[in-house]
Amino acid sequence: MVLGATSSTAHTLRRFVVQYGVYVSLGLLLIAALILTPNLFSEQTLTVLLKQSAQLGIIAIGQTLTLLVAGLDLSVGGVIFMTSVIIARVSNGVDSALPLAIGLSFLFSAVIGLANGLLITKRRIPPFVATLAIFILVQGAVQAYTRGVPGGFVPEGLSVVNQSAGFISIPVVLWVVLTALFVFVLRKTPFGRRLYAVGSNADTASLSGLNVDRFKIAAYILCSLLACVSGVVLTGYVGYVDRFIASGLDLDAIAAAVVGGTLFTGGRGSVLSTMAGVLLIQILSTMALLLGLSIQTQFIIKGVVILAAVALYSLARTD
Amino acid sequence: MNQPDTILDMGRISKAYAGVPALREVSFSCERGKVHALVGENGAGKSTLIKILGGAVQADSGEIRFKGRLFTHLTPRLSLDMGISIIYQELALNPYLTVAENIFLGREPNRAGVIQTRHLRQQAAELLGKLHVQIDPDAPVSELTVAKQQMVEIAKALSRNADLIVMDEPSAILVGEELEQLFKTIQSLVAHGVTIVYISHRLDEVFQIADTITVLKDGAVVGSRPREGLSHRELVQMMVGRSLEEVYPAPIGQRGEPVLVVDKISNARLKNISFTLHAGETLGIAGMVGSGRTELARAIFGADPISSGTITIKGRLVNHASPAHAIRNGMALVPEDRKAQGLFTALPIRQNITLPILNRLTRNGVLQSKRETQVVEDARHKLSISMANADQEAQFLSGGNQQKVVLAKWLETRPSVILMDEPTRGIDIGAKFEIYQLMRHLNEQGVAILMISSELPEVLGMSDRILVMRDGQLVGELPRETATEQAIIERATSGVEVS
Repeated sequence: MVLGATSSTAHTLRRFVVQYGVYVSLGLLLIAALILTPNLFSEQTLTVLLKQSAQLGIIAIGQTLTLLVAGLDLSVGGVIFMTSVIIARVSNGVDSALPLAIGLSFLFSAVIGLANGLLITKRRIPPFVATLAIFILVQGAVQAYTRGVPGGFVPEGLSVVNQSAGFISIPVVLWVVLTALFVFVLRKTPFGRRLYAVGSNADTASLSGLNVDRFKIAAYILCSLLACVSGVVLTGYVGYVDRFIASGLDLDAIAAAVVGGTLFTGGRGSVLSTMAGVLLIQILSTMALLLGLSIQTQFIIKGVVILAAVALYSLARTD
Repeated sequence: MNQPDTILDMGRISKAYAGVPALREVSFSCERGKVHALVGENGAGKSTLIKILGGAVQADSGEIRFKGRLFTHLTPRLSLDMGISIIYQELALNPYLTVAENIFLGREPNRAGVIQTRHLRQQAAELLGKLHVQIDPDAPVSELTVAKQQMVEIAKALSRNADLIVMDEPSAILVGEELEQLFKTIQSLVAHGVTIVYISHRLDEVFQIADTITVLKDGAVVGSRPREGLSHRELVQMMVGRSLEEVYPAPIGQRGEPVLVVDKISNARLKNISFTLHAGETLGIAGMVGSGRTELARAIFGADPISSGTITIKGRLVNHASPAHAIRNGMALVPEDRKAQGLFTALPIRQNITLPILNRLTRNGVLQSKRETQVVEDARHKLSISMANADQEAQFLSGGNQQKVVLAKWLETRPSVILMDEPTRGIDIGAKFEIYQLMRHLNEQGVAILMISSELPEVLGMSDRILVMRDGQLVGELPRETATEQAIIERATSGVEVS
């Protein structure tokens, strides 16, 4: 049974790759960084790196949730843009109006998430199409509201997100806390278990007594709300309103989840591995920057990493 | 050992998945131009053996001699080139291409890279002619019945000059005369010197078509016998080590209060259906596929709406608006299509079993892992589910164990009525027996079971009463004592052209 033993080892190896591949890759990348770009670990670089990771990471948590229910959300860019406009317009630079502005942002974000969820469940529109349409619609509506001129000011108070103790800043703390929260929710609460069930097989879930639509809608609302959190942080970070504030982040968030091992077909993935995926992508970008590679080269590297991750997972998942 | 007319000789093949042996020194040989049946329970190793023959899986040890050539390993390419064709249950045809295009896919007759459509069509027509089937070579495959698609697969195998064709459960997707047609085709193939390996669960078929029958059990060969002189009884005993009489446990013979009263329910697929289900009873529902049996179960369970009529459970009007509602009223549904509707194949066994009772396992909003593990362990013992551990994904279990997981899920909700749609479909005889035992045990505890089944021996063996459906209506009730297969078939089909 020597042969049996090797095939068992292969099986264990495959499971290991699927479950821990992203963490091992992250570890290897950090070692590579120690050798190639030691200044990555300087406090200044690390602070920026983590802050940017947090902005992406908070969106990626939400994206992981929609991926878990076999969907995706392309409208997060719109939510972030809307959030920054609401903050600037409603508060108009006045700190005391900030809670109202943020509250309104959350409310509108939830409505957008609800719209995504309803279109996908009740009208059976594919998530890609529904959320893309909502993205375009939100962008358009916000620009109609601003008449193309970003008015208002971002209150000083919001720049609190730029403060940091060492390389730990408020966005990073938020990211870690939210990740921990969702790790707990997904693993240890009935809601999390049911979300996996709905994503894994909607028919079985429904015949097991779950209201499938309700769970899917919840995932989209949560995704929108998390995008809104990231929008608040980004607005404070950038300090002004910009239509392209979230450009690239939306798709990077999906990429990070996929690099972390979350499947497009639903029911598989975790927010912890998404966090590792986010770090992997951000560290790679920063290293490329420190090595003086062109932005084009950075994109190529990013693309290769995403493809490599997906190829590795699919290899490990086929027997 | 190698006689001149032995086309295939697989010797001492062993294969383990993740350390679990799937085949142990299995030897299997085929004589040219004969039909060899390969039978055995799910998980007995039939598919693994076939995958090794097709080159999809590599054996850990052993050798394969085919047409006199010795191989330790085959690849899919090599297997095809050597003249081995495998027709899987899930047909591998492109629905949007025509019959002829499918047959010659990747090997189209061409001149300088341009497909010669006329040749293609002509050659396809010739092949189909050989099989004596009426199929238009220009028809898109999606427009054919499953039976005809299967014929296209066979034509495809012939076009590759296959000497050995393996059919994996070909009858599972066929009904009535389609099966007769398949048998005719097999006989004509055999007459032309083609060797057939026929895999099936249905023993009647095996007796009808096979020259030799090989029984696999737990990854080893129990025996290989010529059909002549082998009795049905002996074959069952070889497969399960248990005689046929013991398969269906006797009914408990007394029924309690009515639990489920269905009164004149109708919807798009059901017409005016009324019946009463009593505690401790197994009520069988027979009928042809498409007669509305599954739709009846779904309507009662709230998965499909009803347009009129009432459903009462224990005297309370329910008319379930959703499965969630039905589950709260003490109902459970074991669906027909286990993988698509009964299981979460990619989720761990643990999560499959405890899904409907998560609230009970939760304290202050947090799942109690220890209690959950306890529930799963209890279920595993009670139903003797054989699994590596509770975190194993359900897809890696055999059909029988998967069905036990589905049952375990529902037993945890302590239902008073269980609707079972084809509860033993695609399950090996051993697991079937265990499920029958479990059903009787549930009856004894007062649980009412509504069992839909296409297997008449199962309907007759398990039911206290039998309702027959046709065209969405109930067309007869037969008490256990007087019910016969003949009586059921007459009611299920009368008014419909038979043949």
